[in-house]
Amino acid sequence: MSKEKDILVQIRDLSVAYSTRAGWVKAVSNVSMDIYPGEILGLVGESGCGKSTLGKALMRLLPSGTEIAGQIIFDGEDILTYNEEQLRDFRGQRVSMIFQDPMTSLNPIQRIGDHFLEAVSVHKSQVEKSKAMVSIQQLGERLGILSRRLNEYPHQLSGGMRQRVMIGLGLVLNASLIIADEATTSLDVIVEAKLVDQLREIRDEFGLTILMITHNIALVAEIADRVAVMYAGEIIEIGSCEKVFDDPLHPYTQGLMQSVPSIRIDLIEVLYKMAGEPPDLTHPPSGCRFHPRCPWVMKICSSHEPDLIEVAPQRFVHCWLFQDHPEKERATIKVRP
Amino acid sequence: MTTSQPAAVETIPDWKRELDQVGLVRRLLKARHWYGADWWFSVTSGVLLVFIFSVAIFPGFYAPYDPRAEVAPGMIAPGGESFFFVLVSQMGGPTTLDELVGNAVSVGLVAGSQSSQVLRDAAEKRTEELSQQGQTIRIRPRIRRYDNMEQALAALRAGEVTSVVSENTAIDGLLSGTSDLIVGDSLTFASKTPFYLGTNQIGQDLFSRIIWGTRIALLVAFAAALFALAIGVPLGLVAGYWSGRLERSLTMVMDSLYSFPGLILAIAIAAVLGPGIFNIIIAIATLYVPTYYRIVRGQTLSFKQTLYVEAAHSLGARPLEILARYIFPNIIPSLVVIFSVNVADAILTEAGLAFLGLGLPPDTPDWGIDLAAGQDFMRQAWWLVTFPGVMITFVTLAFSMLGESLSEILNPRLQETM
Repeated sequence: MSKEKDILVQIRDLSVAYSTRAGWVKAVSNVSMDIYPGEILGLVGESGCGKSTLGKALMRLLPSGTEIAGQIIFDGEDILTYNEEQLRDFRGQRVSMIFQDPMTSLNPIQRIGDHFLEAVSVHKSQVEKSKAMVSIQQLGERLGILSRRLNEYPHQLSGGMRQRVMIGLGLVLNASLIIADEATTSLDVIVEAKLVDQLREIRDEFGLTILMITHNIALVAEIADRVAVMYAGEIIEIGSCEKVFDDPLHPYTQGLMQSVPSIRIDLIEVLYKMAGEPPDLTHPPSGCRFHPRCPWVMKICSSHEPDLIEVAPQRFVHCWLFQDHPEKERATIKVRP
Repeated sequence: MTTSQPAAVETIPDWKRELDQVGLVRRLLKARHWYGADWWFSVTSGVLLVFIFSVAIFPGFYAPYDPRAEVAPGMIAPGGESFFFVLVSQMGGPTTLDELVGNAVSVGLVAGSQSSQVLRDAAEKRTEELSQQGQTIRIRPRIRRYDNMEQALAALRAGEVTSVVSENTAIDGLLSGTSDLIVGDSLTFASKTPFYLGTNQIGQDLFSRIIWGTRIALLVAFAAALFALAIGVPLGLVAGYWSGRLERSLTMVMDSLYSFPGLILAIAIAAVLGPGIFNIIIAIATLYVPTYYRIVRGQTLSFKQTLYVEAAHSLGARPLEILARYIFPNIIPSLVVIFSVNVADAILTEAGLAFLGLGLPPDTPDWGIDLAAGQDFMRQAWWLVTFPGVMITFVTLAFSMLGESLSEILNPRLQETM
């Protein structure tokens, strides 16, 4: 029990399905994982693997007509049972989100300061405007947003500054979890590096938890404490950053690491290209969803689905190579802790 | 990045940096620096519209005559001097109508001129006035016709006729240098102001009618556009934000309204509702509700998808707050454009309805009614259709121009591209 208190978010058997003309698309299926307070968790995967859906499910921001099953236990409460009023309190005050494109995630006709005021007044309508403004200016200073900037419109700010504003909007209400959905994708590398630095500083200063959703593996390696790899709606590997990057277990993770281009030009190396295409989520492959592309594929992979099991302390893999089954023809690989 | 940023800030001129700190009026003034032609367009049309509004609000100040009164003979050309008919007699002869009583009295005039009609009308009118005062005098002079004014005056000098009726302008030259003839009273209303735009077929001053017509045109157009805005915008916002059965049925109704040819729909509604200025306003407003609905719904749909609305959701904002603070303010620039274009269009529609004789009483000073009336006399009196037409074009153009250029200036998103 005492261990569970250290967990900020417990995701249990979470499935999200979108209804389309082609049928139900299971964007997230049976995902279970924990997010610990104060950590930066990187969530990586190909485009369309369900990373963003998972992030939105954590805020219950999914469009109507989407089916969600399972549990998301946030600070001991299942947010999937919340009603609209509870959700509004939950969003912003406990979880907030930083979006992909800082250019369009601010209202173009609202001044920066008004964005902050708005965020405050949504939840605390009785707060006096001038008092709120003082605390907003203080927060702005800590984030490197000059108070002069609060009078400007979003288009007058650079991309990095806008992203800082977005982070500030998440912080102004003291949210404990910030979901950064591709938050740095549209920034250039220098601004990106600065922002990543800042995110880490903010985490240390405010004691935040950050869920970093991205396809930029190098970025995750730089900033994250732990990393979760997603493929076709499932989490296939979770572990600490060093472990996963040094010694990836799942064949997909291995392929992913080899596909990352290196900046060193003297290394004449052919970039690894994974065979096949990501599966169609309306009709996912049987058994392990990765088996059509897997270089180590076994007979059992196409008939039975593996579990996400802890193969070493804090090291989870979703692969038959690491778990026993009576029909398996190859020996199970043991992982050294 | 860190080193280049301060330099970039300094290159922004001061007026541009101040722009966001000043009020709307100063902002509009400063905006001329980079809007150039657009700015001048909007200021020109704005000044024009302010003038037109003042005309609409105080027509009595600008109009020299009562728009409904028949103040002069019909069909006086634009710029016509005070134009009236006078009696000319020999020295000591009759100078007023009252003196033209008796069987021996005869009046000369030029054949084919309006003088005979004017004389008959004036005599009848005077007779009636006198009979109301209890006097039974009949003014009924005998009329003799001459080919031209010289002959008529010669006859007067010869004593063939007691008096001659003439247009005041026609005898000015003939009487100069002579002292044997005197000019008597005017038979019609003697005007002080010239008829700048001429008179219509029944002798109403066109200039005054056009000025009073501004009031009707603007009243109807503004009320109709506001009415349509008040109905179409909330419906569009609701339908765009909460899609569902309500949205589908609303869209169907609006689309069917939209598919009617505008003027025909307005004619139908106006005909069903019957005459009256309020009914005309409703008829025209019905035309424009779908315009607002469709544009607002479309924009709501697209703004609903934007990240900042999603971000607002993620901050826990309520749907109504999102509509009021995130979506609606973003729609305002397009509403300004639609509104002004609609006002312009409503002026046209109102004129069209009035032209067809729907809705307004026929003696109302209204551009459409004047156009319709003037149409029958297009060959003799070009000014009857030209000036109401020019007014309609002018005001319509000013509204469209103002709307377009204002939207450029008011929209902070467009500043980005400058």
